[in-house]
Amino acid sequence: MSKVDLSLSEVQVRELRLGSITGFQGSAQELVSASRCGLRDKNRSFSQCLGCSTGNAACMVTLIRDAAVISHGPVGCSSCLHEFAFTYRVNAPLRNLDRPTQRKIYSTNLDEGDTVYGSDQKLASAIREVNERATPNAIFVLTTCAVGIIGDDVESVTEEAEAELGIPVVPIFCEGFKSKVWTTGFDAGYHAIARKIIKQPRERRTDVVNVINFWGSDIFTEWLEPFGAKPNFITPYATVDSLAYSSEAAATIQACPTLGSYLAAALEQEFGVPEIKTASPYGIPQTDRWFRALGKMLGKPDVAETLIAQKKKEYIPQIEALREKLTGRTAYVTAGAGHGHALLAVLAELGVAAKGAAVFHHDPLYDNGSEDSDALAQRVRDYGDVPNINVCNKQEFELVNQLSRIRPDFMLARHGGMTLWGAKLGIPSLLIGDEHFGMGYEGIVRYGERIIETIENDEFVKNLEKHAINPYTKWWLAQEPFTFMEGAEIWQAS
Amino acid sequence: MAKELRQIAIYGKGGIGKSTTTQNLTAALAENGKKVLVVGCDPKADSTRLILGGLAQRTVLDTLRDEGEDIDLSNIMKRGYRKVRCVESGGPEPGAGCAGRGIITSIGLLERLGAYTKDLDYVFYDVLGDVVCGGFAMPIREGKAKEIYIVASGEMMSLYAANNIAKGIQRYAKQGGVRLGGVICNSRNVDREPELLRAFAKELGTHLIHFIPRDNIVQHAEIKRKTVIEYKPDAEQAAEYRTLAKNIEQNKKFVIPKPMTPDRLEEILLEFGLLDELEDYAI
Repeated sequence: MSKVDLSLSEVQVRELRLGSITGFQGSAQELVSASRCGLRDKNRSFSQCLGCSTGNAACMVTLIRDAAVISHGPVGCSSCLHEFAFTYRVNAPLRNLDRPTQRKIYSTNLDEGDTVYGSDQKLASAIREVNERATPNAIFVLTTCAVGIIGDDVESVTEEAEAELGIPVVPIFCEGFKSKVWTTGFDAGYHAIARKIIKQPRERRTDVVNVINFWGSDIFTEWLEPFGAKPNFITPYATVDSLAYSSEAAATIQACPTLGSYLAAALEQEFGVPEIKTASPYGIPQTDRWFRALGKMLGKPDVAETLIAQKKKEYIPQIEALREKLTGRTAYVTAGAGHGHALLAVLAELGVAAKGAAVFHHDPLYDNGSEDSDALAQRVRDYGDVPNINVCNKQEFELVNQLSRIRPDFMLARHGGMTLWGAKLGIPSLLIGDEHFGMGYEGIVRYGERIIETIENDEFVKNLEKHAINPYTKWWLAQEPFTFMEGAEIWQAS
Repeated sequence: MAKELRQIAIYGKGGIGKSTTTQNLTAALAENGKKVLVVGCDPKADSTRLILGGLAQRTVLDTLRDEGEDIDLSNIMKRGYRKVRCVESGGPEPGAGCAGRGIITSIGLLERLGAYTKDLDYVFYDVLGDVVCGGFAMPIREGKAKEIYIVASGEMMSLYAANNIAKGIQRYAKQGGVRLGGVICNSRNVDREPELLRAFAKELGTHLIHFIPRDNIVQHAEIKRKTVIEYKPDAEQAAEYRTLAKNIEQNKKFVIPKPMTPDRLEEILLEFGLLDELEDYAI
């Protein structure tokens, strides 16, 4: 049974919908096997930082070019949202956007009185005010814990505002207390977009492919061109209109299956846009599979074969040269679920031994229910097992403990703030936020070059190590890294 | 032909007999072949006792607390008299937590678990006395109950409460599709009760959908953990509940209520609530 139900105002949290977890330690193979037979989460008796769904929901709507966002809650709930304004501005050149406009982010700034008397009126006024000030083509309302607990009727307020203003006013139910898997926020945002923004198709287009992604470089225009198609990026840098007619696309592809899981499934189920379920193109065999799946979906398998042959001819020699230089090196990876698995594949292509990874959560399967989308399973099948897989929602104390034991030759990260731990330990660390950077055959080359550059330029981190003060005590570093992880119970296939 | 599901919320002052009335009403509907789900939204969790023949049911919130969120519908929904489906939302211990949030959580869970199946004719929400916060208004939000009946008697405080409930309904009715379907009088044998309730209902812009006389058989049936319909199907009181069921089945009058000022309410009480010929009597 599909888990997409657009008749409900709220999306089901990931823990329940997909059985996602935030605590695990073991090998990649163990995690993949456990994922097929009832993966159990492990709690931590000590936990450092956690993310909040509201941030992930905001991440997927704040970068829509012509929309405004209202955080409906105490002002602190929106204290991180300005970061998306920064992201929008600095990544605009990657999408050929010359003049990135100011992001329109507001808060209803709820106070004590609002929690007593209700905040519906305040929200209604805020929506009107935002409409007047920003004249957006849609307004998204992010709910917060305070509003969820007092039980205000956000749905009715937004519906009434929508009727009054004549633009979509879209509630996103992303209260942080509901889920400890913060990617539930992506699903909440997409659920709302699928319910309120996406329209039924007027026609079926063969020349448009939806690309669910973050804000990475545009490699897809070039890739899709031989197929006679162009990308429709969802949702960063999209417009309300381009989202509305994403229902007309020939197919949906994803840069990261943990990101687009829900929306890709909703587009297929509710609007008839087929999803390419093959995991994203990282590593040679997976890139082969992905281009073939794309060719098949677009009815142009020959084009896919030609493209694969051409690209391989160009890049395989370069990959081999890099592999020669990097073979025998060791690495540690930290990233979100989909991308972490992708980087493990890229490392394997470069002959680097991955000694472990800290990945922020794990989905046993995605909304499409297809094992083909499981990038970690593909990684294990294509290149073999990876030890020390730690599913950890940015528990830095575990990361530092592991890094100081494993001492890899270098570390890869995708999130700001993570590489500093490698650097402090004198481990050359490379942060690449652009998730498209490692895609395809050329991505392996790009990554290989940057890794070599990072390893060769280690003077800074070696010096830093000598002077850095580690905030963790010697006691902690002498303990087992997973001392605080409890309920260590995995159901193995019998 | 696709059936239209009618979702109905029953409100009224605490102790007025909402649960008794709702259960007898649903028993009468079930007797008539209707498929009914009763959702108790009172932390005391006593809204389905007569249908189920006892307080055996585990509430949604107890189940959630003990077993976590990964539960099946069969954990929380039981079938009672003539297969009427029953759910008790339940709530936190008195004085702790947030009962309103509990109702939001429960109803969300019921939707997610697919309790609202296509074969249902009616869903009844039996809601705690007053709409004290956002959570207790959950059953009358968009997409949920569209009809409301207020249970009241001729007692003054009951009418005060009913008038307050009408204020809450008015607020939601102006925003969405929820409407007041009528007032049900659960008689307390006060003076000129039918006239008073008729006048009160008229002032609210609605009608008295049925007057249920006071009869001790209700008490007898309750002690036996049964509705009157089940306990004594031939009793006159059972016929009264059947009439109520029929009136609700055939009801076409759905209005946005016009709650009155306290002064106007007292005027009505003065006009209808006293028998001219009787003086206060002393014992």
